[in-house]
Amino acid sequence: MAEKGKGKSRGEITQRRRRDGGEVRGKKRKNLSSSGKRKEEEKKRRSGPSLPNALKRELERLNPTVDGEVSDGDDEEIDSDAAVGNDVYEYEEGVAEEETMKNKRYDPVENYEFELPEDFEDWKVPSDDDDDDDDENEDPGRHGRMLEEITGLPADAFGGKKKKDLIISEAYPESEYNPTGDILDGSGRISIQDLLEPLHGKSGFSKLRKDLHRMGKQTVPTLAPVARTDQERIERKAAYEQSKKDITKWEPLVKRNREAPTLFFDEDKELGYSTIGAIASEFTPRTDFEKKMASLVNQSEVVEAHKRDGARLLELNEVSIEDVKERQERLAKMRDLLFRHEMKAKRVKKIKSKTYHRLLKKDKSKAAEASIRMDPEAAKEHAMKIEFKRAEERMTLKHKNSSKWAKRILKRGLDAQDDATKAAFSEQLSQHAALTRKINSIKESSGSDDSSEGDDSDDMSAGSDQEAAEKLIKKAKEKTLQVLEGDDELPTSGVLALPFMVRGLKKRKDAADEEAKLALEEYESSLKQLGDTNKSRSSDKEAKGASSGRRVFGAPEKVVNGTTKKEKVNNYYGDSDSESDAEANADDNTLNDQTGKSLKEMDIDPSLLREEFGFSHDSVFKSFGDAGDPEPKTAYEVAYLSSDTWKKVRKSSDAVKGSEADLNVRKLGIVAQAEKDPESEDDDEDSGSDSEEEMVDGILSSGPKSTYELPSQAELIQRAFAGDDVEEDFIKQKEAVLDEENPEPEKPVLLPGWGQWTGLQKKRGLPSWMLKEHEAAKQKRDESLKKRKDAHLNNVIISEKLGKKAEKLHTKTLPYPYTSKEVFEQSIRMPIGPEFNPVTAIGALNRPEVVKKAGVIIKPIEYEDVSVHERGEGHKRSAPKQGKANGKKRSRK
Amino acid sequence: MVVKVARVQKTNPLPAVEQTEEEKMSVKKYLRGEAADLGELQDKKLKGQLAVREELYGKSAQAAAQAEKWLMPSEGGYLEVEGIEKTWRIKQDAIAAEVDILSLRKQFDIVLPDFGPYTLDFSLSGRYMIAAGKKGHMALLDMKNMDLIKEFQVRETVRDVVFLHNQKLFAAAQKKYVYMYSDNGTEMHCLKDHGAVTKLQFLNKHFLLTSINKLGQLHYQDITTGEMIGNYRTGLGRTDTMEVNPYNNVIGVGHSGGTVSMWKPTSAAPLVKMLCHQGPVTAMAFHANGHLMATAGMERKIKLWDLRKFEVLQTFPGTTKSMQFSQKGLLAAATGGSFVQVFGDLSGSQEYSRYMGHSIAKGYQIRKVQFRPYEDVLAIGHSQGWSSILIPGSGEPNFDTWVANPFETRKQRNEKEVRSLLDKLPPETIMLDPSKIGSVKPAMKKKGPTKQDIEAEKEAAIEDAKKTKLKKKTKGRSKPSKVTKKKQEAIMRAKKPFLEKQEEKVKKRKRVEEENQLPMSLQRFARKVPAS
Repeated sequence: MAEKGKGKSRGEITQRRRRDGGEVRGKKRKNLSSSGKRKEEEKKRRSGPSLPNALKRELERLNPTVDGEVSDGDDEEIDSDAAVGNDVYEYEEGVAEEETMKNKRYDPVENYEFELPEDFEDWKVPSDDDDDDDDENEDPGRHGRMLEEITGLPADAFGGKKKKDLIISEAYPESEYNPTGDILDGSGRISIQDLLEPLHGKSGFSKLRKDLHRMGKQTVPTLAPVARTDQERIERKAAYEQSKKDITKWEPLVKRNREAPTLFFDEDKELGYSTIGAIASEFTPRTDFEKKMASLVNQSEVVEAHKRDGARLLELNEVSIEDVKERQERLAKMRDLLFRHEMKAKRVKKIKSKTYHRLLKKDKSKAAEASIRMDPEAAKEHAMKIEFKRAEERMTLKHKNSSKWAKRILKRGLDAQDDATKAAFSEQLSQHAALTRKINSIKESSGSDDSSEGDDSDDMSAGSDQEAAEKLIKKAKEKTLQVLEGDDELPTSGVLALPFMVRGLKKRKDAADEEAKLALEEYESSLKQLGDTNKSRSSDKEAKGASSGRRVFGAPEKVVNGTTKKEKVNNYYGDSDSESDAEANADDNTLNDQTGKSLKEMDIDPSLLREEFGFSHDSVFKSFGDAGDPEPKTAYEVAYLSSDTWKKVRKSSDAVKGSEADLNVRKLGIVAQAEKDPESEDDDEDSGSDSEEEMVDGILSSGPKSTYELPSQAELIQRAFAGDDVEEDFIKQKEAVLDEENPEPEKPVLLPGWGQWTGLQKKRGLPSWMLKEHEAAKQKRDESLKKRKDAHLNNVIISEKLGKKAEKLHTKTLPYPYTSKEVFEQSIRMPIGPEFNPVTAIGALNRPEVVKKAGVIIKPIEYEDVSVHERGEGHKRSAPKQGKANGKKRSRK
Repeated sequence: MVVKVARVQKTNPLPAVEQTEEEKMSVKKYLRGEAADLGELQDKKLKGQLAVREELYGKSAQAAAQAEKWLMPSEGGYLEVEGIEKTWRIKQDAIAAEVDILSLRKQFDIVLPDFGPYTLDFSLSGRYMIAAGKKGHMALLDMKNMDLIKEFQVRETVRDVVFLHNQKLFAAAQKKYVYMYSDNGTEMHCLKDHGAVTKLQFLNKHFLLTSINKLGQLHYQDITTGEMIGNYRTGLGRTDTMEVNPYNNVIGVGHSGGTVSMWKPTSAAPLVKMLCHQGPVTAMAFHANGHLMATAGMERKIKLWDLRKFEVLQTFPGTTKSMQFSQKGLLAAATGGSFVQVFGDLSGSQEYSRYMGHSIAKGYQIRKVQFRPYEDVLAIGHSQGWSSILIPGSGEPNFDTWVANPFETRKQRNEKEVRSLLDKLPPETIMLDPSKIGSVKPAMKKKGPTKQDIEAEKEAAIEDAKKTKLKKKTKGRSKPSKVTKKKQEAIMRAKKPFLEKQEEKVKKRKRVEEENQLPMSLQRFARKVPAS
């Protein structure tokens, strides 16, 4: 506010200054103009416009003095007079002289503000200018009028002045601008104290003195006001400092709240009454009526009576045991009945027998019928119901395809519809079918079975008329002809268009045609026969033949179609079928093998291995590969250990096996002998091979001691796996995978002759840019390969693909406050669910940022003195305590 | 010789100092990795928030570690020897002399010589076992009560059998198809799509039945919806070694070329393919922690791999048809024909050494070794039936009833079934590193210009064409009509290559579609080059 006031005052000042300047200028101008004006006025007065007399009179009456002056006719007087009357500035013209420094007595210090009380001025100032002196002398009455006009005071007030004027005679009348000589000398200088003295004791003196005292202190000259912008800036700065001071005290408070993981607004606070009883107990009577009631209710007599009454009421409450028993029994009975009914309903509902339900339904309908018959009301109702149903049916025409909806669907095609529509449509169709069936059944039951004539599938065997047979044959013939004529066109696209397919189709078609022709001939012959029989009216036997023929005729056509179809199918899935067949066969074979016919045929792997490693290592791999097959194994062992214990085992196995084993023994022959000992060596190795014989002793003790010189184990293995270079294969595979991901750059090549002058290019080789490009591409590839996880692992291929489905399990971008991936990933490493944390930790781990109870009013933050150093322990405190300490928004008070 | 065999549920109070050490370890375990370095963060607010979070995590881990003490009271069993005695010299009868009666009951042999080598599978809780003889004999047993629940003959080769999500359902790979049976032997489904399967696995968190068939095709079928999730050709021939990595549910398949490939159900290419052996891979097994794999090759080597680095840790001599890691990390391998060797990480530094051995009667061909969950028992399926031996320290002593409860009631089982169905994971969550779920998607390689780029390029070309100033020509060749015509032609010329490219793309797509219309087997006969 102060600032504003200041600004305003300053604005005023500048305005005033400006106005002052304007005044000065205006004064000068007016001086000039006033002389011109004067002449004009003179002219006017001399040759003024002829006013009507009445008006002139009026003017005279209003302004007698002016008129009088005019009539007096002095130029100068008119001038001054006009100045006094029209313009205040004209009057101050005298002051302008002082500005020009003509008058040395001019006080250099301007003191605009200084005002003196009126009486004081009156007492002291010898007022007038020298210019006016003569005029005043000449016309004191006029001066009084002037003063009167300026000040608005009555002219008598100025009377005293005149007297003094009369006393003092000086060139200039004494005034503040023209002080007396002794004042100027300085000896008898009048101080303000002097001036104040006479006022002592008067009202307002003390205030005046204070003001004066204050002013006296301001000895320093007032400086020019600062520029507005600067001033504003200063003010703003001051305001900012102030507000900063105000706000900084909140800082630790706010900081603490910001750092707190949870803010609590759930202080236990009475939210109101919990029960009606609590509300009632709090009731205090306020109005007169209430008070009266309360007094009545709480009267001791009433209370006592109520108490006594209550006791009596309790007595009334007593119920006899019999009553209770009876009631219980009744209830139990009802419950039992209900339960039974329920059970019965359940049982009936559970019965799946259709006949039972049919019978039940029948019973029901019978009962209904009976009721209809008996009760005219019920009959009426029933009729109404049926009528309603029929009407509904007719309205919807649900069973017909003629509705708009159905038509539209048919138009669009049933395949284009969704499942629900299809279902609805099929339902409609089925309804239709059911209805027609019903109608037909009604008709059939009532009339002849003419309707069955059209269907050739209908049972005619009973009749087996010759005519019918003939008809049938004719039909068959027609159809075969159709088959013969039809499907000439071969498919032009797809698999069937492939040449070998086309060939196959053609072949098949030819075969089919052949068959059809045969069938046709047969038809013809049979037709003839039939004709003959017709003619000769032959015996039943032949008719029977015909009928049987019919059966045959029906069949071939079907067969033809069937075979073609089947073949087609075969053709389509030919490969897979045959494969699966082969599989099955193989499976069978293997099973057969397993059940044990020949040792040679075993699972694929070992057999393959055998092939690879040759005959000499046969038995080794048998032992490795086929632990799964018990028979061969035992047989083998029998073969290779001809000791007593194992012979026993052999004997225990059935004779057939034994013989086979023998056969194998013979087969293996010498080799088995040779391999005995490596085998035992193998087992030794298994057990750890260091002086540990307990598990091997079975073999060692039973088997003959070796005299054969053994190749070392490593050697044996080396020999065994010499054939397949697994490592190289793997490296090749890895390379293939790498190439798939970052293909190797193509080698730079040139088209022969392209851009070459004969032979020149050849000498220079490829252009350098090509080589450079190639090199760059290669380098890029190498770099990307180096980045792979398996870059330094020769024997490992690790897929770098993430997979599209797994993408949704990752975040696409780093979530907001995080800036580093590691930090984010480490922040989510801990599960926070109840399955992974003890109960004590779950609450703190899953607490929301703000905990508040519904209905709690959150009050604005209150100031609280918080030491800055509290923060450190803030973390250590448990979360709820933190909340308690935080007084920001908690409504504790 | 002094044998100390501590059985399951035998608590042994340890010295206090050690406990704190242990506690520290478990706190570290529950922290699930290290906190991020907050020092490098610029954002003060985030820093503050994360600091608070980390503190909470720390508290949670501390609380969990403390609770562990009470929730996991039992301590695993162990074998202790004195002096120069070796654990692998201790035989089963020696153990039997030391253990309590209940444990003694778990040592037995079942002799069933008629139906060939047996394969076994335990339910998740270890309470139920299914045994399937190669010749079609199948038996479902309650191992707690030693009850035979159901036994039946399918009169077909049975190659493998697995429990599905609980003991009420199991799947068997038979001669031609895979069948699903209920616990009373009713055939529930016949899964023909799988073909002649050699090995089955079930991913219980995803409800995926996984199989590999004789043609080397890998199938994933969701057993809740019946949907075939994936059908991939390994292209590496027939195999019967397939195992699940329990940590990430990635399927590992061993091939005849000595390679092991790892698969997930949503990609047709293997995640990892590694050359492990010179000869065919005969058996493999995964450790429960997910970064240890054991493979056995026909060249008489058993190798232990670190799957984080894909490097060999150890190599043992020996050949095996079946291997398995126990819950506590012991590795059982059926070396030789009838000998079971158990390796153990005794020093705790992933240095596996011989721990125990067991040889069954010579001539019994072991087909399958399987540790029983939550028990110190190893079941061995062989050609003459199956036997069960005690391997102290193999099973997890404390079971979590939310995970697997051996004492489950019917109601609990039903509830768990519903719960596990609700918690079923989608197949795409199977990946090599499941902790990467939720992280930022790895940057994809840029594949050529995008559609916008092409569009912008086209626009630029057109603008250029418009801007080119034509020469002022005489004899009416600079008539306004001619000029406009020329300009339009220039624009068309600029557009032309882009349009051509587009057209080509459309054509190519059409061609591909045409090719796709043909059945697979006939596509090779389709014309590769369009008639021009």
